[in-house]
Formats: sequence, structure tokens, C-alpha cells
Amino acid sequence: MKTKKSSLSAAFFITGLILLGIVVLAFLISIVHTPYDPNLTDVTAKLQAPSSAHLFGTDNFGRDVFSRVLSASKYTIFISFAGVFIAAFLGILTGLPAGYFGGFKDRAIMLFNNSIMCFPGILLALVAVAVFGASMFNVVWALGLVFAPTFARVIRTGTLEIKERDYITQAKVMGASPVRIMTSHILPNLMPQLLPATVIGLANMTLFESGMSYLGLGVQPPDASFGKMLADAQAYMTGAPWLIIFPALMLILYILGLYFISEGLRITLSGGDN
Amino acid sequence: MTETTGRNMRYLAIKLLELLATLLLVSFLTFAAFSIIPGDAAGIMLGPNASPEQIARLRTELGLDKPVIVQYINWLGGAFTGNLGTSVAYKLPVISLIAERLPVTIGMSVIATVMVIVISYPLAILSARKPGRIGDQVCSFLGHVLFAVPPFVLSLLLIIFTAKFLNIFTVGRYAPPSKDPGMFIGSLILPSFAIALPKIAMTFKFMRSAIIEQNNSEYVKTAKSHGLGNIKILMTHVLPNSNVSSITILSLVLSDILGGSLIVEQVFNLPGLGRLLLSAIARRDFPLLSGMVFYLALITVVLYFAADILAGLADPRIRLK
Amino acid sequence: MPDIRHTHILKVHHLSLSFPTRKNPDPAPVLNDVDFSVRDGEILGLIGNSGSGKTMTAMAIAGLLPEGAVITGGSIKFAGRDLVSMSAKNRRKLAGKDIGVIFQEPMTALDPLMKIGKNLEEVLIAHGEKDKAKRHDKICSMLKTVGFPDPESVITRYPHQLSGGQRQRILIASAALMSPRLLICDEPTSSLDTVTTVQILGLLKDLCRSMHMTILFISHDLSAVKNFCDRVMVMKEGRIIDKDNTMDLLSHPKNGYTAELLTNARLDPRILGLERAMVDYTKSPILMTHELNAGYDNARSILKDVDLKIYPHEILGLIGSSGCGKTTLTKAILGIIPHTGDIKYKDSHIGAVFQDPVSCLNPAHTIRWHLTEPLKAAGIKLTKEETEKRILSALFEVGLDEKYLNRRPRQLSGGQRQRVAIAMCLMLDPKLIVADEPFSSLDASSAAEILKLLTDINREKGTSFLLITHNIHIVRQIAPRVVVMDSGRIVEEGLTGDILTSPKSEAAIKLLTAEKELHGSN
Repeated sequence: MKTKKSSLSAAFFITGLILLGIVVLAFLISIVHTPYDPNLTDVTAKLQAPSSAHLFGTDNFGRDVFSRVLSASKYTIFISFAGVFIAAFLGILTGLPAGYFGGFKDRAIMLFNNSIMCFPGILLALVAVAVFGASMFNVVWALGLVFAPTFARVIRTGTLEIKERDYITQAKVMGASPVRIMTSHILPNLMPQLLPATVIGLANMTLFESGMSYLGLGVQPPDASFGKMLADAQAYMTGAPWLIIFPALMLILYILGLYFISEGLRITLSGGDN
Repeated sequence: MTETTGRNMRYLAIKLLELLATLLLVSFLTFAAFSIIPGDAAGIMLGPNASPEQIARLRTELGLDKPVIVQYINWLGGAFTGNLGTSVAYKLPVISLIAERLPVTIGMSVIATVMVIVISYPLAILSARKPGRIGDQVCSFLGHVLFAVPPFVLSLLLIIFTAKFLNIFTVGRYAPPSKDPGMFIGSLILPSFAIALPKIAMTFKFMRSAIIEQNNSEYVKTAKSHGLGNIKILMTHVLPNSNVSSITILSLVLSDILGGSLIVEQVFNLPGLGRLLLSAIARRDFPLLSGMVFYLALITVVLYFAADILAGLADPRIRLK
Repeated sequence: MPDIRHTHILKVHHLSLSFPTRKNPDPAPVLNDVDFSVRDGEILGLIGNSGSGKTMTAMAIAGLLPEGAVITGGSIKFAGRDLVSMSAKNRRKLAGKDIGVIFQEPMTALDPLMKIGKNLEEVLIAHGEKDKAKRHDKICSMLKTVGFPDPESVITRYPHQLSGGQRQRILIASAALMSPRLLICDEPTSSLDTVTTVQILGLLKDLCRSMHMTILFISHDLSAVKNFCDRVMVMKEGRIIDKDNTMDLLSHPKNGYTAELLTNARLDPRILGLERAMVDYTKSPILMTHELNAGYDNARSILKDVDLKIYPHEILGLIGSSGCGKTTLTKAILGIIPHTGDIKYKDSHIGAVFQDPVSCLNPAHTIRWHLTEPLKAAGIKLTKEETEKRILSALFEVGLDEKYLNRRPRQLSGGQRQRVAIAMCLMLDPKLIVADEPFSSLDASSAAEILKLLTDINREKGTSFLLITHNIHIVRQIAPRVVVMDSGRIVEEGLTGDILTSPKSEAAIKLLTAEKELHGSN
């Protein structure tokens, strides 16, 4: 039974890493070199089908889709990682004391959390960007705020369980301060919950970011992002399907890779799938 | 019995109190979000070229010259009586603008929810009967993949697919429900499907493992030792117990569907709340924006409350704590 | 006594079972040529350690084998019919009606969404009792039989509103409802305390006699079957290696493995050669509580005016049945729950050792971290060399060495983890260590070693102990004084010899009677 479990999680993990690797590779290449300037327009070469000159074809402004896809992966990866970092940080900051102290503090923090969760996430992110202006940094912190309650919930649930363990009682008996108990006794034990949640958070954040960019409220033109590329391509989708296929494929590869990795992590860390 | 009734009432009272507190906090957060805007809201709304007189006039019009607490109470009173002021851009009452667009958003959400339940539950039951069989593995794999496709990308792919292979052009075909109910619903099917698919995958995955977990539980073993048949055990023990945990997931799915519809209707060019939201954002129409945010949150608050009550009804351990 | 005189209700004939997979179609058998018969009306014990195949044997008879288990040979004849070759449908007709099963975990064996009445009713419905009033009467009379004087109020309750012992009674009722001829009990008492265990065993024995049921009783504890079973079989590695009348088997074990099980079953301090420190009761107590009240929420206090004294060098025994407030008292003394009343303690640190060796150490950290942590938490600053010296001396004292320092808890056995927990206490050199059931989750030999370690520490360092245990033998041997708790109060205290020979309080009498019934007189 044990080998079956570990081979399943390994399969998820390796597939996920390969899928994610493709996008990360694109990101790394885009730093060093892109065949064309991703924002360079060329009216003489617009809407060209994929060829040896333009691997993924060109768009309605004659921009090289391959270069734009490479460049877009950079923003996707940056926004998701930065956003998750903020969300996880805020989630730990609120969820850990809520679960550990319980009582009034817990109720107050969780009421605030649940209230935030009552706003449909995408709506909250859109409004934040609307009020403070559409820029990449606003997108990052808006997504970080939107996802923080989810992390807080995961952290709180885990903390509630772990604080009943004997080793926490032992730490209290030894006179460890609450901050010390939370940071060095409880937090390291939350990794089995935190790690998959972080990876899933990366994926969900990318779903949101691409949706926002699609609506024109994410990464701002002329910079390339998968969502915006897809929005621009919609008008030409029957005539120039490559404009849809390549950005969509990269986006899906990235999210799917993350899902697979989180699934592998979950199975390994939780001690078994079903 | 009286003790039980007392605890039932206690659960209901606690949940009602929570509902009230959440409503207050949600309304306050909505209000606060539009009050802490850096700089002056009226100035932002009118743009850099506005004259000081224009800004002052808009400030009075919006009530921004009054103390913040008075503004909040006025706003809150308005929110619960359906009077959220007038849209700056449309010069129409916010409430009627929202009411006009609501059918599309609600219609899509309802259809998508029905799809999620009707497709994911039976598949999960069938898959969980013998986990690891080929059918189960195919379903689980498809579930993983669908989970990873953003709904708006799925919409684009569905549009291309139906246009290329079925010769149906779905974009732009829309009629208001009062004029042509058939066409109204028809125009919502494909977008609803695009929102529903990832959620079907999610609900399927959740229900499948819930059912498998229940199948391995001690009381199912007890029921087997009592001589009950598999179908009977599924209907009386496994499904009710799996449903308890699925209620919470379903309420989260519903709220996701509501949010997802805001984007997907843009792809299909449908006149729902999503379009209204974008135009409110583009024109910096803050009264309209805050009204929409509050009402959409309100729907979710009520949804979560209903889920809590349903979970309490289904599981005595929750309500008799 | 030749078997010929008895009629046999169940005959298991050369039964073999394994879990073949595609990769390994012929794995080592889980059951290997198991062969025995159950006489009509007897109580037959089946004893073995975990993994010996005893539960698999029971499940094969009950028709509840887990997925993947394959019977590779032999037969199971129940009242003359072969269960192995029988169709699933016919098996279901027998299940619950002729063969009843009681499981180990009463907390999870009832559907939490169904009222007790419904949980019970399904047996009757499954076996064709259509009349609702008849079902109700049958359930009520059965509930009375298993010890619920007011069945009407029980059937409207939910499982989570009942205690573990009550739920186990409900499960017995559901298994006995159709008056089955064979009742299989799979460790029905291992999660219950001594007093409840004795009650449940008494109930099963009554049912066996009054309803003419035959019982197959599975247990890992040889001593628990002493006064209960007529005959006992011992299983090891999928085989039955010993069977005899209970008295013969327990008093003169012929088989070496049985003898080993028997000595391990009881933690007999006399064999261990324990030596504790001498106590001078004229000295002033090291810890004193006065009118101590404490609980988990402010509204309700679990402890009621507890006055407790612990003297220097003393090992004080604390006994009481589950729910009496023992654990609350330790938590109040350790200062981790709010309390009112006085606690006077002469030192700055109290050490604590808890029951569960799995959760007593933090899985995320190494043993070195565990031993450094007490110093850090207490704010004691030492040089690196001093810290290292103290860690090593604590480690040696509990019988471990430096090679354990960089290991993590999961690489240690239960006994070793308890040692580390004790070493953590020793880092601060406390005058008092509170030990809450430190042996009860350990296997017998590790428990014996930990017990020896505690008395060694007491003798060599003069550390006082508050020892909470349900094992009266241990208390008798190593604790000169004992206190008895019931419903949050101390109901009796005094010299161990006096209390154990002539208990005065109801709680102490109950505990001692249960102990006596379960394990026989000493």
C-alpha cells in the first residue's frame, strides 16, 4: 500500500514539475533573450501564421507571439509568487494567534476574515485595482489581501489541532512564551497544510490575475500578459487561432503544473490519498 | 426533548447573531473601502481637469461634506432600504441599474449550479464505488485538467469549438427574459457551462473522496455486520454523511460561480453585472460601484448563512454542540 | 475433556488468507492454516498481539474482510453451512441475524446523523420486521437488558450525546437484537476504563447465558480474559499456537510464547526490583494546594476545593476512573489552566511527562532541539559547552546517548520518546515531576523500563513524583501514599497499604473491585 501511495504522489510531482518547468524555462529565456522585442509592432507582418520566422505567428499589430508568450510568463510568475507571499504572511499573522488564543480574539479575527471572504474574490481584487489604479503592484497586493483569509483559515484549523498535542502542553509547562510557542513549536508543524495551500494559492492567483488582465485591469499594455493577449485575440479567434492557442496553453500548463505538484505534496504530507 | 429544542434554538440564535455581525462588518468594509480612497473621491471621479466648483458640487451631491459616521449611517440606511443613491455616470438610481442586469448574472449562476450538482454528484458516486478502476481514473484525470483551465479561457475554447464544429455562433445572441425567455436561457447555457466545468471537477473530487472516506468508516462496517445491502448503506449512511461536508464546499462553489460569471459574461458579451461593473470602474462611478459590491457580498453572506443552517439541520453534532 | 461431547456451532477448518497483488500474486499468508471449533454456548477468547491475525480471523467469520483479502484455502462452517462458498446475498441474511459483531471503537461505530432508535431499527428492518410497534417494543426491551432503565429517552438521542461506555452498550444491543447464535466481539473494551470494562464484560456474560449466545472474544490482553472466557486460544503470525481452558492456560502456560505474553501482560513491579527514595514526612511539603478550583471555562469548575500535599522525595499515587478530574488537577498544578485557590511550590520548575508517546515530542524538530528548548523557554543562558554538557548528562541519565541527538521523534520508538520527554524535564532539574499515565500507551517491556527509570530518578536525585495511573499494582509497589479522586474532589487519601486493603470511599471501593474482577485477586 505504501509503495502505491508514494508512486502516485511521485507521478503527480514529476508531471507537475515538467509542466511548470516549461513555463519557468520560458521565463528564464525571456530574461536572457527574446527573438523579437515583445512590444515591437510591425504592420507589414501582422496576423501571420506560425512559421520559422515567427514560431507562434504574429498578432494584429505584427508583434511576435512567441516573444510575447516568453515575456508574459515573467509577469504571471512574478505576480503569483509575490501575491502568495503577501497572502501567506498575512494569513499566518492572523490565523496563528486566532487558533492559538481562541476565545474573543479568535472570534473577532475570524469574523473579520469571514466578512472579507463574503466578497467574491475577483470582485474585491477588481475594485481594489479600480480604486487605486491598474498597475502590476496594485494587482499583487490586491490579490494578496484577497487570498489572505483563505490562508488564515488553513493556518487556524491546523493550529487548533496542533495546540492540543502534548508537546505544546509541555512547552507551556516549560514556560515558553506564546510567541515562541506559535513560531517555533506550532508553525514548523503546519507545513503539511501550508505547503499545498501555497502551491494551490499560486495556481488560484494565476486564475485571478489572468482574468483581471483579460478584463484590462491587470498587467497594463503594452506589456504582454496571457490574459490580455487572449482578450486581444478574441476578435481574430476564428481566423488566427494561434493567437488563442499558445497563450492559453502556457497559462493552462502553469496552473496544471501547480495543481499536480500540490496534489503530490498533499498525498505525501497527509499520509495517503483516501 | 426540551434540552434538545433549547440547543437547536441556541444554534439558530448564534448563527443569526453571526449573520448580523457579518452584515454590519461587510457594509462597513464596503463603505470604508470607498472612504479611504487616497485623495478626494469626488476629485478622482471627475478627473484632473475638474474645476473646484464642480468638485464641491459633487461632494455635496454625494454627501461627502458630512462627518464620516453620518455618511456611513446614511449609506447603511440606504443600503437596506434599496436606496443606494444615483449613479454618477448613468444618472439613474443605482438600484434600478443593478436590477436591470441581475437576471443575466443570477440566471448564469443558477444554471451553472444545477450543472455542477447534476453532473458531479452522480459521477462521484459511480467513481467511488470501486476507486482505482479505469473509469474512476479517467474521471479523476479529467477533473484535474479541467480544474486548471480558467473559465474565460474555457469560454474562448468553447466558442471556437461550437463555431467550427457545430456552426453555432453564440456570441452576441441575447434577448432579455421578458421578450424571449427561450433565447434568454439558450444564450446562458454555454457561458454557464464554461463557469461550471472547473467547479464540476472540484465538487467531483471532493465528493468522491468524501464518499470513499465514509465507505471506510466504522459505522458502515457496523451496518454491514447488521446485514444491510450496499445500496441501502449508500442511501441511508454514506450519502447523508458525505452531504454534510459537501454543503460547505457547495456554498464556496456558489460564491465562486457568482464571481466567475462577472468575467465570463464579458467573453460572451452578455449584459450582466460584469459589464456594469467594468463601466463603473472605467467611469469611476463610486456610488454604483459600492452598491454593486455590497449587494454581491450580501448574496454571499446569505448563501453562507443558509449553508450553516443546512449543515446544522443535517448534522446534529453541529446544532447540538 | 474430549471435544466429542460438545456440539460445535462454528468450525474453522485449515483456513488460510492472504492479500495477493498483481506484482506479488503469492505473498506471505496473513492467516496460515487456522483450525479451531467453537462450542455451543461457550465464551472463547482469541488472544494475540497486533498483526497476529486475530482480527482477520474474526472478520473472515463475520464476512467483513477488507478489500483485497483472499481466502486461499480451508472452510468456515457455521451451523453446518460453509460460509466461504456462500453467496453474498445469503451471507447478508446471516449477518446481524445469526452472527452479530461488536467492534472496538464505540465512538465511531454508530452513524452520527441518526438517532439511537434509528441506528438500532435498521437491523430489524434489514431482516424483515415490518411492524413498527413491534420494532419499538423489541428495541426498548433490548435497551433495558443492556442497562438503560429508561429506553424511551435513549432512542431519541444522538450518538454524540452518549459516553463511550453507553455507546458500547448500544452496539451490544444492536448486535444482540436479533438474538444471534454467535456474537463476535473484536476488542470491545480496549478503549474503555477499568470500571466500564468490568460492566461491559459482565453484561456480555449475562447475555451469553440468558440468550444462549456463543461468544468469540478477541483481545490483545491476556489478563483481561482471565475471569471472562471459558477457553482461550493464542495466535501468533497467523497461526493458532496454543489453546486450552482459561485456568489451565493462565496458571500453567505450556507454550513459551504464551508464558511471555503472560509476564508482559502485567507490569509486575516485584520482578523489576524497584527501589524508591525514603520519605521524611516531618519535612514541610514541596507542593501544597489549598481550596484549588479549576476548569476549562470560567463558568464551570471541574476541580472542587482540592487540598493536596506532596512531600520531598515522595512518589504520590493519584487514582480515579476516567472523568474524575485527574488530568485537570495536573494541568492546574502545572499552571496551564486558570485556577482559584492557592498553589504553593518551593521550586521554580515542575517537570511533566504525558501519556501519549506519539504527541509528546514535536515532530518538526530534532532531539537536540528538544533538549535545548527547556533552557531557552525558561530564559536560562548558558555557554555552548555548558549546554552541551547538560544535554549529554540528561540524555545519559535516561539511558540514551549522543547518537540520538540529531534524530527526529519519528525515528524513535515509543519508549525512547518517553525517555526524551523525561530528559527534557531533567534539563531544568525540577524538584517535582508530574507524570500523567506515562506507561499506559507503551508496550509492556518499555513500560517496565520507564517505570524503573522513574524510580531511579526518584532514588538518586530525590525528585518527587505525582504519578497518575490506573494500574493499582504499580501504585502499591512504588507509591507510599495515594489519593483517590472522584467528581473533581479528593475523596480519600492516606497510606497506600491502608487504602488498598480497606478502602472507605465509594470511588476507591469501585476501582478496587473492578480491578479485582478483571485481573483476579493478587
